[in-house]
Amino acid sequence: MLQAKLELHDIQGTVLRNRPMPYFGAYLLFRIHNATAARNLIRRLLPHITSAADWEHPAENAWINIVFSYEGLRRMELPAEILAGFPIEFRQGMAARAAFLGDVGESAPDWWDLPHGQNGFHIGLLVMAGSTALRDEKLAIGHAAMAGIEGVSLIARLDVGVPPTLREHFGYRDGLSRPFIEGEGGIPAAGQGVPVKAGEFVLGYENELGQISTGPGPEIFWKNGTYLSIRKIRQKVAAFRNFLQQQAASADAQEKLAARMMGRWRSGCPLSLSPDKDDPSLAETNTFNYYDDDPDGKKTPLGCHIRRVNPRDALKDTITDARLHKLVRRGAAYGPLLPEGVMEEDGKDRGIVIAFVNAHPGRQFEFVQSQWVNDGDFISQGSRTDPIVGRRDHADDFIYPEKPFRRHITGLPDFTVTRGGEHVFLPGLRGLRWIIEMSG
Amino acid sequence: MSGKVIQNERTALAQNVINQPDGPGKRIGKRSELALIGQVNPDGGAELFRSRIAQFQAEAAYWETRVGTVHDFRITLIDNDTRLLFMITYDGDFKPYVQDIIEQAHPWFDAIFPGIWVGYKSAHDAATIQMVVDSALTADFLYVAHPDLSVHDISKMKKLSKAVNDLFDAAS
Repeated sequence: MLQAKLELHDIQGTVLRNRPMPYFGAYLLFRIHNATAARNLIRRLLPHITSAADWEHPAENAWINIVFSYEGLRRMELPAEILAGFPIEFRQGMAARAAFLGDVGESAPDWWDLPHGQNGFHIGLLVMAGSTALRDEKLAIGHAAMAGIEGVSLIARLDVGVPPTLREHFGYRDGLSRPFIEGEGGIPAAGQGVPVKAGEFVLGYENELGQISTGPGPEIFWKNGTYLSIRKIRQKVAAFRNFLQQQAASADAQEKLAARMMGRWRSGCPLSLSPDKDDPSLAETNTFNYYDDDPDGKKTPLGCHIRRVNPRDALKDTITDARLHKLVRRGAAYGPLLPEGVMEEDGKDRGIVIAFVNAHPGRQFEFVQSQWVNDGDFISQGSRTDPIVGRRDHADDFIYPEKPFRRHITGLPDFTVTRGGEHVFLPGLRGLRWIIEMSG
Repeated sequence: MSGKVIQNERTALAQNVINQPDGPGKRIGKRSELALIGQVNPDGGAELFRSRIAQFQAEAAYWETRVGTVHDFRITLIDNDTRLLFMITYDGDFKPYVQDIIEQAHPWFDAIFPGIWVGYKSAHDAATIQMVVDSALTADFLYVAHPDLSVHDISKMKKLSKAVNDLFDAAS
């Protein structure tokens, strides 16, 4: 079969391109009061939206992408029959799907501090840059575009940026593994596996079911667009540190426990390649699988985080076809680092904002969250959930192999709570033009 | 559920029955049920069904082992061969797994239903999937013996139990 040729110039950059390292970015959320004003704003921003083609040969190490919630598209006055053709997850919005996604208790939408589609998040600008100066230049473009425009208001800004440790707040190196998208350019790195069909991540191309992924309305509107499932996750760093200290006596034992929960040492080194001791030189080595090498989770525990969110070939003999549940994860930390050794929360908000790229939010992000992160049946672990980010109201324990006997930890607290979430549509550049010209 | 339950010594064991969180069907713990009712093609559908059902039955264990989450599954023609009743108990959620089930077992379904079930073209046809989902019926009553054990769990326990017995046999 011919490999898909992606129209890179028409696809917004964040779909296919990794963020720089270090990175400095911002999420800007806007409320639409008036459709004409919103169209004017987008018209002004359009020349500054970065495509995946620009990304290959960037004039500068910074970019802007633009997204819409369902309510945002409704307020842009898209025809009702187009709106009705969107997937149910996008139409309802993430807050309405909280019970299914496990956003309950402290994670319930009532507590969210990042607006969602039902309380003001209609348009989002995603800015990412290799320095604060470059970020501020891009933000200035946003400000200039807003000048004189009434009828669209900025309601929230969340700055993201890599902590000085170059790790996320719990101390793990992240962003180490992601699928290779057919046609994205370049060649797959070792361990990236078989390239995933582009239609899993971009509308208008063949997907893993052998069908063309489509959207509602005319092709020009949805082609080269996709969905981002955005999550703002607050991390309780002191709770995590205290837990490790209570469960493990020595610093080495704490590192080992942290590794068992993740499936990687905090350096990024996979347990699969070095189960007994950390070897940071292996952090970027991704050439490991589970089906033949470690079916029972002796090295990489069955219930750990990375075996849930990316089971690789482990589910080969099960009902689940892992090809249908792939995600591209774009994560960025926010908030100040809790200094090393501090064991009490300082009241500051810190965590991670993740944008999952997926062309089918139902069978991709929502499936992974509801079936793999927040349940354990697929690995014969009953209702047991992810030891780091899982919901605790269904189960709060974790089992991992240890010598001479396996260890069973009970009473896991919430290490993370959801503080925002929305499924948004990220149109292609022609789609954006169509939106502003359609009824403007 | 409407109607009042009078608490007594027998209701003390009542199971917590809920609706599926994302789709049709009832559920207790991990165990879920689903029923579908279809129209049988009046033009020879019942005869076709009888001619195909033996092969479908003979292949059931093969396909259901691949799927790996089905506890029991019944199909029968009712109402003088005019309608088809499809009843299944399985593990976990239904809707999120529709595509996976189709990917695993579509040749099996496609070997029986076309020409019998009105509106059923092929398991890969979006309109067929929608028709099947729309014909779902949620039970009014459900009881399961072990709501916390999946098909996989039971297989694992059988293996474990056999290993223990083999050990005792070897030692005796």
